[in-house]
Amino acid sequence: MMPPVVLVSLVLSPAIYLTGRSHILAARTISLIALMIMWLTFGFIARGFAISGTQIYTQGTLVFSFDGLSLLITTVLLILSTLVIVFSIPDIQNKPGEDQYYAILLLMTGAVIGFVSAGDLFNLWVWFELTAISSYLLVAFYRENSDALAACAKYLMQTATGSILVLFGIALIFAESGYLDFSHIQIAASPLTIVAGTFFILGFGVKIALAPSYTWLADAYTEAPSGISALLSGIITISGLVALLRILAVLSGEMINWGAVLIGLGTLNIILGNMLALRQSEVKRIFAYSSVSHIGFIVFAIGISIYAHQGVGFQGGMLHLFIHGLMKALAFLTIGAVIYVRNTGLPLRINDLSGIAHREPLLAVGIITSCLSLAGVPPLAGFVSKLQIFYAGVTAENLPIIILTVFAAFNSVLSLGYYFPIINALFREESILPQRKLTPGIYIPVYALTVALLLIGIQPSILNVVIVPAAQTLSLLFGGQL
Amino acid sequence: MTVLHILFVCAFILLGIGLYGLLIIRNMIKIIITIQIMIKGAMLALVIAGGFTGQLNLGQSLAVTVITADTIVAIIGLALAIRIQERNGTLNVDEIVNPES
Repeated sequence: MMPPVVLVSLVLSPAIYLTGRSHILAARTISLIALMIMWLTFGFIARGFAISGTQIYTQGTLVFSFDGLSLLITTVLLILSTLVIVFSIPDIQNKPGEDQYYAILLLMTGAVIGFVSAGDLFNLWVWFELTAISSYLLVAFYRENSDALAACAKYLMQTATGSILVLFGIALIFAESGYLDFSHIQIAASPLTIVAGTFFILGFGVKIALAPSYTWLADAYTEAPSGISALLSGIITISGLVALLRILAVLSGEMINWGAVLIGLGTLNIILGNMLALRQSEVKRIFAYSSVSHIGFIVFAIGISIYAHQGVGFQGGMLHLFIHGLMKALAFLTIGAVIYVRNTGLPLRINDLSGIAHREPLLAVGIITSCLSLAGVPPLAGFVSKLQIFYAGVTAENLPIIILTVFAAFNSVLSLGYYFPIINALFREESILPQRKLTPGIYIPVYALTVALLLIGIQPSILNVVIVPAAQTLSLLFGGQL
Repeated sequence: MTVLHILFVCAFILLGIGLYGLLIIRNMIKIIITIQIMIKGAMLALVIAGGFTGQLNLGQSLAVTVITADTIVAIIGLALAIRIQERNGTLNVDEIVNPES
């Protein structure tokens, strides 16, 4: 049977929509209950994993396999989904289409869990499509705003093209080996691996905003509702990397070293994200381009490990994936809280952040924590993960990689150039008066994430239980072919 | 070069036509049609890939599943096009897309 985590979301999502049309309170309650059930069933899967390793569920010919990578992404996803649903209850109140919002949010959560745990190629593609479809609908939630519609159109055209490229790659692998499930495919070294790998890197690269297909990201994150921006930027965009890595692991690495390709593209992402973020004046766009940069860090770390046959880069990449999910979600949720409080309907510029430190000091603490953590300032969590990535680069003992690691470190410092104006603006005199008070639904997720970032920064080993299995899974995937 | 090889190349030619169209076409509904051309190419590639390995049934069932998923994408794209036409009065992607960097 299908894993209960996914089944719950697929079954309850239409139920939320149908009940939400008449009673919106029922929709919110059922979505929270559905998340609690998903946590419970995920707990069983995690316990099974701790006892006996990879958990496999089969439904007919579909295979779902929960290994360390799936568990890591599912953990972050369930944490962020819970916080985003709690945040959205006051944020989306009385907006048109509210009932559809909760239904599609739950569907997207289940679809991403299916995406990262798919055990064969076509299954992977179907869940990829479902994730993409539900995110198109959520990005275009503010359907009266022509900027949001334009952002969704751009996002749709690029992601649809990406999924078609993935489909061509799947067709190539199917033609070559006759199998679709990951345990049976072994592609020998031939020019086919380069072609298929290119299709997958381009196709999944659109999804994870890898250079050069990142242009949809800034518009989509800016125009989406704040909770959706937090969820997308935190975990859903980067979850495509799991699929890409699983596929690159079965393609032989003799003709082209995938680690080198990932290092190059990751570095490109880092510098492009930073350069573009420096030019922006709208706060959500700054955080969106910062996401491009951090995705570059994760891909860079994983590329180093694949290229240099070590395990530290995998750990650094997975740790940064987890921590970046929390940091970026905190950033978008606090900005969403500011938008909620100001309630002007206009895009939030840096100058509009004036006065928050005086009026809502705890929100200011949240913004400062997220900005400093994103820049990698100790003792916050972002410092720990970036340190591990740079350590992985330096211990690779390969001069070009060391040069690129130093370059990445400089870029990490450069990112302060667009975080400091945000922090600076918080302390100025107030320019826009607040119109709404903060409700617990808005500030509880913000406080929870702030405390989590501080705790992880001081004692990062509390994350070992999720990071180490994920890094071990990656080592196993890439150790076989190295 | 069997017939299967020629058809496989045709699937990639369809992909190429679709990508070229995606670059030069300016009307949003025509872009959605272009994406549909690429999808048909992908379906052909899946069926032919099944033919190469003797599993035509599996290839055909994959292609039918692709029809379902990509029809939904086309529906969402067309719904977006309707809304954009209402808001902006134009379907030209140059004028719809945000002018920011």
